[in-house]
Amino acid sequence: MTSQAVRLFRKMDGLFAVYKPQGVHWKHVRDSIESNLLKALNSCPPPAPQLAVQFQLLSGGENSSSKDVVLSPSMVPTLADHPLVTGPQFHKVHVGVGHRLDAFSSGVLVLGVGKGNGVLEHLCKSHVTRDYTLEGEFGKATDNFTHTGRVIEKTTYDHVTLDKLERVLAMIQGANQKALIMYSQVDLHTQEAYELAVRGLLYPHGKSPPILTGLRCIHFNPPHFTLEVQCVNETQKYLRKLIHEVGLELRTSAVCSGVRRTRDGPFKVENALTRQHWTAGSIIQAIAHFSKATRKIRKSGMYKQTAGQLNSSAQVQEQTRSQTEQINQEHVELSSSTSDTVVDRETPVTLSEGRTKH
Amino acid sequence: MALVSLRSCGRLGFHLGLRAYATRPVGTPRKREQQDDTPVFQYVGQHRKLQGKVFVWGFSYTGALGIPSFVVPDSGRKKPRKYQLTPYRLDTEQKISSAACGYGFTLLASNSRDLTKLWGMGLNKDSQLGFQRTQHDRHKSYDYVLEASPVSLPLVNPQETRALQVSCGRAHSLVLTDSEGVFSMGNNAYGQCGRKIVEDEVFRFSHSICPAPLVLGSVYACGWGADGQTGLGYHNKASCPVPVGGDLAGVKVQQVATYGDCSLAVSTDGHVFGWGNSEYLQLASVTEATQISSPWLLALRGVGRVRQAACGGTQVAVLNEEGEVFVWGFGILGKGPKLSESAIPERFNPTVKVSSIRCGLNHFAAITDRGELFVWAKNVRGCLGIGKHDDQYFPWRVTVPGHVTDVACGVDHMVALVRSII
Repeated sequence: MTSQAVRLFRKMDGLFAVYKPQGVHWKHVRDSIESNLLKALNSCPPPAPQLAVQFQLLSGGENSSSKDVVLSPSMVPTLADHPLVTGPQFHKVHVGVGHRLDAFSSGVLVLGVGKGNGVLEHLCKSHVTRDYTLEGEFGKATDNFTHTGRVIEKTTYDHVTLDKLERVLAMIQGANQKALIMYSQVDLHTQEAYELAVRGLLYPHGKSPPILTGLRCIHFNPPHFTLEVQCVNETQKYLRKLIHEVGLELRTSAVCSGVRRTRDGPFKVENALTRQHWTAGSIIQAIAHFSKATRKIRKSGMYKQTAGQLNSSAQVQEQTRSQTEQINQEHVELSSSTSDTVVDRETPVTLSEGRTKH
Repeated sequence: MALVSLRSCGRLGFHLGLRAYATRPVGTPRKREQQDDTPVFQYVGQHRKLQGKVFVWGFSYTGALGIPSFVVPDSGRKKPRKYQLTPYRLDTEQKISSAACGYGFTLLASNSRDLTKLWGMGLNKDSQLGFQRTQHDRHKSYDYVLEASPVSLPLVNPQETRALQVSCGRAHSLVLTDSEGVFSMGNNAYGQCGRKIVEDEVFRFSHSICPAPLVLGSVYACGWGADGQTGLGYHNKASCPVPVGGDLAGVKVQQVATYGDCSLAVSTDGHVFGWGNSEYLQLASVTEATQISSPWLLALRGVGRVRQAACGGTQVAVLNEEGEVFVWGFGILGKGPKLSESAIPERFNPTVKVSSIRCGLNHFAAITDRGELFVWAKNVRGCLGIGKHDDQYFPWRVTVPGHVTDVACGVDHMVALVRSII
């Protein structure tokens, strides 16, 4: 008979998403989740104490005459498994973190509990794309690309219009489209590579620099503007630097006032748990909600381990790409009217080549 | 903030000086008064106009790229740069409206009324860039022009006439002006300059730039005709521009394209006429003969109304009104390594709208309506501009900082006319 605590512990296996607030280190989030889970586990009512037979000197009772102390057996609870003796039953719950978010950013943070930690590794290796919303502000440049940094330069921004911004974003997208194919580790001189490129299936499955697969402006109100970005292999500092570079291309300067991750693979911000819900009950519900996605990630991860046995790298590309697409299937590719990148899959451009001399 | 004087402090002193610096921890906002002190810079005004720029890339030893430091480096330590594999900005004094690439030389034309309308750089052994007088000898001309140098045209009204378009061949060039007709210069061994062929003429140091009479809408041809590329019905040389007949008689032509030995003409109602060499199946839609000496209407199925045509050495491309590109011929056509020849037009992915298509001798260039440049096919000495020497079997984007408005393809180099984004 398992106790309620053990039954609760066995339910804590899987992946779920948490909304990390801004200004908080991701480690604090992980630690508070772990302590909440431990609190819930250790506050479960302990099982009924085990009884052991003990021979005690008790007064006789009815059978013998009174005032005779006789050795009689009785069931007495053993104190060996009393919680006040042994201490709390659970000391540690393995909670792991997926793609990290630095202190300045906020948004979806994927955590794994128990057996889900193994699946976390597969998620990290699967090169799923992530969605971010970046808030930017024209007019100043700082040392760490955020609005709280030391101001290095101030510039005018009255010449910036939405169509100029869209043109610059289209150019950045063009460079990133090329990078997608450049880092796909497929020999471009083969017919299979051409077939995949035409269908838009070439994707960087190995090591690659940060690549933006989608970029568009969703709000423009000078000096403030908001960009929506889909990227792979990125860091939040790279995204803040992107805002700075958008400013430079527009012959002004820009700082980032917010980075918010709205999606990490199949984990979206609508299903992420906010601080009030960092309790064991909500977490277990969330794990159950994401169990399908977790299974898919685990399957794709196991596929990749055996992928080395396949002959052609292009075949591996196609099948791992379809796996990644299945994982990402709920998200819609970004495309806006003036800067659609998705359609033009034949035609890639490199990031490093963008340094032309003037 | 005051600068720390490095020279006065020793090494230890420098570190101490830094520590004594009044630094504010990162993240705490500055006080208001300090914030307002920073000067505000203006890099661009509100009414800034878009600038035109010129980018070049490819083989540079002939001087065709117009950057002398590639051929003769500025300092003794640097090595000459043989191939410029990515687009490099060429500084021009005026806005260039038309460019053309020949075999090892380039011509740039500006649409202005100034006295200097034309600049040439590269190979000049046949005076294809006119007479470029040397510094030391008045009667000699430079064989290799490393920098864009003015080409003087014998115009009647140099301050009124504008140079509209330039075009280059293997060793000759043509300039179209708005009121004084066409001027030609360079090699005339086959009569391609439209003037009388002189036996054993020496074209080095030649001064001859002559105008040629023409009529709007019809096609004139002169030059070598061994493959029928003059379209005049015979296979001899023609030294004087003669109107082309055949199926083109009476047809208003909007564009002519020719490169190797094959020529195409596009009429105003969207039909394509072809003549010349058909050894590589360029004209196989109408005939199986390898040379056609007079223009035939090409019945291309599924192409629709043609807006522009471009000819390469062994391959041909057309662009229709919907922005779709069709290629056929021999060589790397751009649909993978397997498709190396085709007699029927092969269509490219129609989701991308193309606004202009050009052909070099062995490669293609397409400009989309969003101003992006795509190149593909053989990468002769880095002419594709994609950063590597490998051939490209499907269209690949060239990174240029701006919107490409026009591109000129030569044998081993290319010139792009780019409009800035902001």
